[in-house]
Amino acid sequence: MTPLLYLLAIQAADPEVIDRIPSGYSHFVIPFTVGITFMLCWIGVGCVRLLAAIPKADRIKFWKSLLIPKTIVKNLRDLFGDCLFHVKIWMRKPLLGYMHSAIAFGWFMLIVLGHIEVALFVPARLNVTRGGLFYPIFYRYFVWVNPGHTTLRGSFFFFLMDFFLLYVLSGIALAVFKRFRSIVLGMRHTTKPSLADRIALYSLWLIFPLRLLAESFTADLSGGSFLTVGVNHFWHFLFGDKLWFTPCWWAYSICLGLFFAAMPFSRYMHILTEVLWILLRNAGIQPNHPRKGVAEAEIYACSSCGLCLDACPMNVQKKNLKYSSVYFIRFLRRHNEKKINAIADKCLMCDKCHALCPVGVDAPALRRAQRATVNDTLPYDYSYLPLAVPGSILAGETTATLGTLRGGTGASLGDASGGAERSEAVERPKVLPGTVSNNKVLYFAGCMTHLTPRIIKSVEKVFKEAGVEYEFADRDGGICCGRPLMLAGKAEAASKVIEANKKLIEGSGCGTLVLSCPICYKIFKEEYHLEGIKVVHYTQFINELIASGKLKVEKSEKKIVYHDPCELGRGCGVYFEPRAALDQVGTLVKAAKEYDESVCCGGSLGSLTLDTRDRAKISESSLENLLAGDPETIVTACPLCLKTFSEAVSNSRLPIKNVAVKDFAEVFCR
Amino acid sequence: MVDFGFGLVPSSRINLDLFDREKYEKLVAMEPDAKICMACGSCTAVCTAGQFTPTSLREAIEDVFNAKDDKALEALKACQLCGKCSMVCPRGINTRHLILSITKVYSKK
Amino acid sequence: MKNNILIIGGGPAGLEASAQLQRMGYNVILIEKSPKLGGHLAKWDRLFPDSVQAEEVLGRLLKGAEGVKCFTDTDVRAINRLDKSYNVRLTNGITVLSDAVLVASGFDLFDAVKKEEYGYGIYDQVMTNADLEAYFKSGSDRRIEKPGKIGFAHCVGSRDEKSGCRSCSKVCCATAVKQAIEMKQAFPDAEVFCFYMDLRLFGRHYEDIYLKAQKEYGVRFIRGRVAEVSENYDGTLLVKAEDTVAGKPLKVTLDLLVLMAGMRPSASGKAIGDLLEMSVEEDGYFAVRSGIAAGQRSPIPGIFLAGAATGPKTLPETLADARAAAMEVDRYLTEIFPDAKNYKQLVRERW
Repeated sequence: MTPLLYLLAIQAADPEVIDRIPSGYSHFVIPFTVGITFMLCWIGVGCVRLLAAIPKADRIKFWKSLLIPKTIVKNLRDLFGDCLFHVKIWMRKPLLGYMHSAIAFGWFMLIVLGHIEVALFVPARLNVTRGGLFYPIFYRYFVWVNPGHTTLRGSFFFFLMDFFLLYVLSGIALAVFKRFRSIVLGMRHTTKPSLADRIALYSLWLIFPLRLLAESFTADLSGGSFLTVGVNHFWHFLFGDKLWFTPCWWAYSICLGLFFAAMPFSRYMHILTEVLWILLRNAGIQPNHPRKGVAEAEIYACSSCGLCLDACPMNVQKKNLKYSSVYFIRFLRRHNEKKINAIADKCLMCDKCHALCPVGVDAPALRRAQRATVNDTLPYDYSYLPLAVPGSILAGETTATLGTLRGGTGASLGDASGGAERSEAVERPKVLPGTVSNNKVLYFAGCMTHLTPRIIKSVEKVFKEAGVEYEFADRDGGICCGRPLMLAGKAEAASKVIEANKKLIEGSGCGTLVLSCPICYKIFKEEYHLEGIKVVHYTQFINELIASGKLKVEKSEKKIVYHDPCELGRGCGVYFEPRAALDQVGTLVKAAKEYDESVCCGGSLGSLTLDTRDRAKISESSLENLLAGDPETIVTACPLCLKTFSEAVSNSRLPIKNVAVKDFAEVFCR
Repeated sequence: MVDFGFGLVPSSRINLDLFDREKYEKLVAMEPDAKICMACGSCTAVCTAGQFTPTSLREAIEDVFNAKDDKALEALKACQLCGKCSMVCPRGINTRHLILSITKVYSKK
Repeated sequence: MKNNILIIGGGPAGLEASAQLQRMGYNVILIEKSPKLGGHLAKWDRLFPDSVQAEEVLGRLLKGAEGVKCFTDTDVRAINRLDKSYNVRLTNGITVLSDAVLVASGFDLFDAVKKEEYGYGIYDQVMTNADLEAYFKSGSDRRIEKPGKIGFAHCVGSRDEKSGCRSCSKVCCATAVKQAIEMKQAFPDAEVFCFYMDLRLFGRHYEDIYLKAQKEYGVRFIRGRVAEVSENYDGTLLVKAEDTVAGKPLKVTLDLLVLMAGMRPSASGKAIGDLLEMSVEEDGYFAVRSGIAAGQRSPIPGIFLAGAATGPKTLPETLADARAAAMEVDRYLTEIFPDAKNYKQLVRERW
């Protein structure tokens, strides 16, 4: 006999609960039933529409992913961790995490336990035709407890139900408190709710107190535990035997109905859409449009919690709050094209909102996709780049520039057009003996680094000191890495410069490619797919040189603070190596916010429309963040950060002129 | 009236009467920095694309003012948006957005 | 009665103002933070447009200021405003009760290290205008050894929002032309290039030296700001700019690049300004009562300004400004200051 049948048998013999209302129906359930039916239809249709909009290959990938054990485990972990327990918020802001998880997990448990109770005691009512949609929700209204037949099992559920109700109520209390004093929960700015948000929000606040009221009124009939029974006694003490519980159940039902009816138009839709988004995300499906297909699941998964408001470095100025990811997504939902574009273009693409998002909404990717809808088709022309036919397009300057690469490594790229001789005439690196060697290191400085000669000089010094055999790929200039085009939403164009660069670098015959610019590093690592070439950032490379004893360093007492460049830290996850290396030469002090919470310097190429004044404000706040530990030297590993901080320090009106801003490699030069 | 040949060969002189005020206002609304260039040439000097093929933001801005829209687009079409120009501009012009804006406003499409 | 007047800054403006005020019979106290009087003038070799020896000019200024109580190596420690006068404590321990204070704190040269793309302090062959003057004075500099090609980059730290300075420094164009000529005189075989944005040669005879540089010395003037400098293997420099007249990007290999560092408000002057709670304008220079009608009066009664403390000036302008400031001080001390009863009202009306 299965346990369930066993239980049923017991119940048949000696029921613990008896139907109080034999029909199992009362008019007050109508508001709730209408609300939830509307919402379920909405989301059902939405899901079908959404899945239909995904390319077929992706859709198949999605269904398949649901069967892969590894993905299943990940899905379960994420569903519980992100949707119910809000682990990511807990880790950063415990009180806020408690609030979110109390409401989400508590409510979830109330629903689950409610259904279990019905399944145990009046299983027939689970049938949809017999009120299965609303009965478990209003279970307490419809039943008596059979006096003298209560069991330990029954009391246990009564206790659990009361416990979780209290748990949710504590979360609601915090949520109400947060509306007025959000800073206590660790939030400086909170999202401005829309009309539907307000309706849903206020109903949500009311649902649980009303539930307590309703259930406590009926507690002496339908049973309860420490909370509901206790409150029930209190009502009897106040009002004697005159309890009007029908209005309370009506109010409870109306609030639920209102909440569910407003849900599709409000931020609370995320409660359900988040599930779909997590499944799609874990299936590895990337959005290719800012609003259609997967992106739709993503934008509806946003809970408008507003954590991205404080995360956004632009929000040092209050006027920039409207450019935050939460509003970007809100306007995406509303199809407000003009605002969407303005917001998409403003962003620095520092990725902090993505890193901190409790549901992992990749807003920067959506912004990039949005930029692409406008910029990708602009008439640009890259036919001048050496693409398909090696050498044939190279002429004049081009040949001379690229000649350094070719000449240095045994003319692998073609002997076209007398370019070789010409490149002899131009400044060319002295080729070290042993032409093509897999151990050879190729250093690619990138466009920006040519405006910060400190970096180039220092990198070369360090290489020489450590005896690294290297070639300087773009000493006389090169082609852009493509990342800036990518950030501007011009993926098609980016692929062209990538192709051109790739050809040159693969043709060089090097074994390791060292990059000093994190912008280059990110795209080289992610998009270039260089065969047999190790791509490293110079922080990693120098750390390796130190670890292997090739580069000798001396420890000093100098207080150093390290700034994580966005593209290197959040972009590529390189946090450890630069710190490990710096720890060998100085004393690392902490910035106020570090690692994935580090603050963009304001010089990012990501933003298209942010002007110099606004950028200067961001730089100043980022600088303040770094100065928290009172350092003597600020070290960064990005030409843009270096330039931005240098300017910020010298132009700042704060008394901080004695702080030196140094490049990472500079610290290791003697 | 006697035709001295201008009908056959269009004048290469800059004709400010052809200046499209409306388009220009649109550009300025999109990127106000379009107004503040002082033609120092820093952008052109450092231009990554300019190493390979004639590319010049300074020239493009001048072309816009001189009613040579096609030339402006021509001067920017090779741009790789690398942002070097924004680093060196002494007026702090948001060059990348200006480049995109000029292309948006003046391209025929 | 001899009023005490404190003059802060012993450069040309301070020296000239002290000379004038002393002649008027005031008791002048001049303080200078460095060990030597003369300011930047003392470090310069020759002056545009006539190539007069800076020493000669300085000598005259010093002679005029003979008899002035002068403290070098001295800064202001604290200032208290009394009813009408100022009680100034100096770093040498002396306290001065002064009826008027003239701030002639001058300027600092822009620190060219901050313009990193030009490579000053990074590349061996990059120097500043001040370094070059030092070379002219001393005759030696490790960077200068028969240079074949010399470039002058105008507007370094001037007219540049990125360096935090929007304004023109006024003197660099003429200085560059002068130095270009001098380098040609020293190295007749050298090729000299001046990279300018606009040549601002506004003063008397300035255009003459421009013409001379072109005609007699063959200095090449290129309209385009230097934008990027890199170093070649042999230590020579590759300089990139746009020839905006030709409309083409340009590069040239140079043996020496001279950066025409511009003027920035004096940092130590700013510190004194803070003690006095003097306001500065957006450009960092001290605010004046009225730019046209009262350019030597600060917004605070009894505090006067002269020279580059109120913005970049050429030397003749500075001296004229100092004389004007002396007149203003005199007017204040004879017309407003002595009338204790109506002082406040007079200040309201006439300051």
